[in-house]
Amino acid sequence: MSVRPATLARTAPVSAGRSALRSFLEREGIFGWLMLAPGVLFLLAFVAYPFFYGIFLSLEDRRVASPGTFVGFANFVTLAHDAVFWQVVRNTFIYVTVTTVLKLAGGLGMALVMNQAFRGRNLVRAFLLLPFIVPTALSTVAWMWILDPTFSVVNWLLVHGKLITSGYSFLGNATLAMGSLIVVNTWRGMPFYGITLLAGLQTISYELYEAAAIDGATGVQRFLYVTLPVIKPVLIIVTMFSVIFTFGDFQLIYALTHGGPANATHVFSTWSFDIGMSAGQLGMGAAVALAILPALALLIVALTLYLRRE
Amino acid sequence: MTTRRDFLTLTAGALAGATLGTERAGAAPKAMTVVRESSFIKPFDDYFAKTLATDYEKLTGIKINYEAVSVGGMLTRLTTIAETKSGPEIAMTALNWPHLFDASLVDLTDLATEIGKKIGPWHDNILDAVVVNKKWKALPWGNIGQLEVYRTDWFKEAGVNKFPDNWEDLLAVGRLLKKAGHPFGFELGHGFGDNHGWLYPLFWSYGGREVDKDGKTVLIDSDETAKAVDFCRRFYKETMFEDVLGWTDVNNNKAFFGEQISCTNNASSILVVGKRDFPEIAKVTDHGMNPQGPKGRFHLLNPVSHAVLTHAPDQAAAKAFLRWLYDDKQLSRWLTSGDAYYAPFLNGYENHPMWGPEPRYLPYKESLKTSRLHGWPGPPSHAMSESVAKYVLVDMFAKACRGDSTKDVIATAAAQLKQIYKAK
Repeated sequence: MSVRPATLARTAPVSAGRSALRSFLEREGIFGWLMLAPGVLFLLAFVAYPFFYGIFLSLEDRRVASPGTFVGFANFVTLAHDAVFWQVVRNTFIYVTVTTVLKLAGGLGMALVMNQAFRGRNLVRAFLLLPFIVPTALSTVAWMWILDPTFSVVNWLLVHGKLITSGYSFLGNATLAMGSLIVVNTWRGMPFYGITLLAGLQTISYELYEAAAIDGATGVQRFLYVTLPVIKPVLIIVTMFSVIFTFGDFQLIYALTHGGPANATHVFSTWSFDIGMSAGQLGMGAAVALAILPALALLIVALTLYLRRE
Repeated sequence: MTTRRDFLTLTAGALAGATLGTERAGAAPKAMTVVRESSFIKPFDDYFAKTLATDYEKLTGIKINYEAVSVGGMLTRLTTIAETKSGPEIAMTALNWPHLFDASLVDLTDLATEIGKKIGPWHDNILDAVVVNKKWKALPWGNIGQLEVYRTDWFKEAGVNKFPDNWEDLLAVGRLLKKAGHPFGFELGHGFGDNHGWLYPLFWSYGGREVDKDGKTVLIDSDETAKAVDFCRRFYKETMFEDVLGWTDVNNNKAFFGEQISCTNNASSILVVGKRDFPEIAKVTDHGMNPQGPKGRFHLLNPVSHAVLTHAPDQAAAKAFLRWLYDDKQLSRWLTSGDAYYAPFLNGYENHPMWGPEPRYLPYKESLKTSRLHGWPGPPSHAMSESVAKYVLVDMFAKACRGDSTKDVIATAAAQLKQIYKAK
């Protein structure tokens, strides 16, 4: 009998301690930070640190495996006087703008079709996601064959269909090379729009369409005055993400053209890699990568402000 | 001056770094890692990983790990190793990399002198690539030559039994062969080797130079350059097709085996792969030296070397391994396994048995005498690498081929080079 009180006497403080710890952790301010901590630490280590280190590097004349010298904005001044830099700026903006418009239009169309009821819908949805699921490096190899002058299936079909006499030089001609990259990027990125917009479409109550139909709205009017306003926030967010991803696109271009012919398809990421890694000019390479930042930041701020206002 | 190490120290804390450093300094070399770019000749990689590494472990108890990096990825890997000061102790270097990574590489002068006395002397032209401020920062291994690879059967059909000796004669043959449906295919796009492999030699053979020996005086804006550009435009239009402007290094190999082209510039890997996978094409494939121009014959120096990284916990052990590896007993066996893909820089191997089985590889040995680094006669500096990475010369020729004027393409290249070499 003497054991029980003694046991109770020992466990009581532990229990009280646990309870105190529990109530401390359950305080909203503490618990919130605890939940946030892993994410914040991850972002600090893998986003904030490389970002600030990149800024630090861009202000240095820093060559690989050598100490750097602080040069202020000299790297950016040098870039401003480099004709290839301005070609890269033009290429990047053409690439991002055209692919974004195509992906937006195509993705929206894809989502509208996928939102209809038809036999085999789930299977078609799964197949449409394939370009997004397949690793870029792998799908790019397939595209290398599709666009290859000797073995291109597109050229084979066009020549054997007697539509042309000799095949196109998809990656040798400057205009066609950029066009080919835009097609491949659109092919890969469209499912991202499609699936995200489909999620947005499925939140629209069917009653809204019924009410619009009773009021005599046509199909186009139902799309313009019911569908579009409801999915607009999703549309803006998905466009914002896509623009960010496309600005940083690297694998596809590096594997297909490596920025050629004669820099016709060089974008910020590929040119920055060549300067930073191949030429060993880490400071200048970082400056090229960061030169994109103002335009990107402006776009994100504008879209975010628009979203808030909405 | 602030280094990346300083930045890390400030942000991550000096204590952790100091602790790690102390631990590493005391570690015994039970194992070492050698990193190399994966070779096109698989038996060569296998011979090192399975035979030489095993032999060394039996002899010393030190395990040698072999890390093979994919083709074209070695510079990125070496950059990571040098920047993080961790990873393999011994690394392959190429081109002028010993100059770029000078601060991260151990002085191997004693070893190079010793090997040079035994099997050398070393070829003179390799010194530009590996000797930095009078110190050997890497031990030369071999040259991956870039030569003309052509179809003997189609050349014979055009009445040519011997590979043309100068560019104009090659153009004349190419003109005939293009009409016969067998165009030439020389890379003019953004690859890493097969473009520079013929464009620098062509440029030099017409007397063109990017920069002078001083590394400050840009010389590209010259009549000689204009002649080289004009010839290249004719050569492209009369013997090739538009695709070559966008080609990277895989395309000419594919086109050669697809029987689309009759001549290209490449390493001997086309014949090696042909013998394995396309024996009928291999039978009618041969090599020719780069044609000569009005100012001589040139080839591109594409040296592969081995260096010891300064972060190696036991540099003496790493050097001891290289001493063993570069002993004739090992060096000779490993070279032979490479199927003459690597032409050694040691005069003692001038008549090495590796050249015996396949006489079609002999031009690769011969080409060493006229081989120069990219950017020659300029110094093998960071600026030289920047010019190569920005494809200044390749794009000058490519733009001319697509139709830009000679004056414009030279002016653009000159402006780029002045910026790169910080010339006035």
